[in-house]
Amino acid sequence: MMKHRFTILAATAILCIATALGASAQEVKVIKFDQLEQLRQSPHDTLYVVNFWATWCKPCIKEMPYFEAANQQYQDQPVQVVLVSMDAAQDMEKRVKPFVQKRNLQSRLLLLDETDANTWIDKLEPKWSGAIPATIFFNNKRKQYEFVERELTQEELQNLINKYKP
Amino acid sequence: MKKASLPLLYAACLLLVSVLLAAVPAPDLGYQVGDTATDFRLKNVDGKMVAMNDYKNAKGFIVTFTCNTCPYSVAYEDRIIDLHNKYAPKGYPVIAINPNDVQVSPEDSFADMQQRAKEKKFPFAYLQDETQEITRAYGATRTPHLYVVQKQKGGKYKVAYIGTIDDNSREPGKVQKKYAETALNELVAGKQVSQPNTKAIGCTIKWREA
Repeated sequence: MMKHRFTILAATAILCIATALGASAQEVKVIKFDQLEQLRQSPHDTLYVVNFWATWCKPCIKEMPYFEAANQQYQDQPVQVVLVSMDAAQDMEKRVKPFVQKRNLQSRLLLLDETDANTWIDKLEPKWSGAIPATIFFNNKRKQYEFVERELTQEELQNLINKYKP
Repeated sequence: MKKASLPLLYAACLLLVSVLLAAVPAPDLGYQVGDTATDFRLKNVDGKMVAMNDYKNAKGFIVTFTCNTCPYSVAYEDRIIDLHNKYAPKGYPVIAINPNDVQVSPEDSFADMQQRAKEKKFPFAYLQDETQEITRAYGATRTPHLYVVQKQKGGKYKVAYIGTIDDNSREPGKVQKKYAETALNELVAGKQVSQPNTKAIGCTIKWREA
């Protein structure tokens, strides 16, 4: 009997720890375009890797692990990976949060709450047609900038980060 | 002798450079507003081949690159049907083209297209761009992606509008700016399109993998 009780206790403890560890996915911050613009203008000597994705976008989900890996890899370096969701704000609870939890995403997470992309796409990048995935790389301090409107391979992402990282 | 060979050398170099330049393909950016759009002959969900030239009375077309699988396309299906029902009687029917490669996106197969067209009772042609040549020629990059073309006197098709349907993909009830309708109304009224380019977030086109 005692032995049995101990097993249950141990199992509960393990479950608690596992849950605590597993629940450490990043929070998703809902932003408007002016906040995205602020991010784009960040004056720091940091390479920002800003990826536009959505839970419904298959190629985005395919390349997402590469961004997550880069976020991990350059944790102690001036490289910041930001994942900007294009999901509708009203899909936050139902789709975005469960996705983020399930994937245990560790990169900085934003959700751009703007319905009319026609009002902001050109302000961010006139070359962008609106297709996702799309990614911008920039370091304003060094006046570096590159825009990519397609799915990246892990190698391509690595090469771009290596090209620009301070 | 030496003096004469120098200009000849220049000429040879110039020729070489021009040959090399000609060999570099120009980046294919697709159509801009004002360009002449090519006609096509693609297979419709009813099995028949469809071309713009088949529509003798049309004044133009709402060429819509869309698909079965993109949530944005699905969200816009009813509005594409509405566009057709409203503007086909005014001379501008919808022609929908599925640009996606079936290998990359199996649910965009011809059978799936037929199924979707049947379920939604599409009142317009829904064509498959199997080789993706038309999609490349137009320069479509996402779904849905609209090209409104206007038939010219010589039978050519001039691109009059490129862009999105409206300003709210998620909630049709909250739409404030009907970009495509505004452009179509202006065309029907014989006016210049005031906002001929608009953008929206959409699914990337699933290109055939090399």
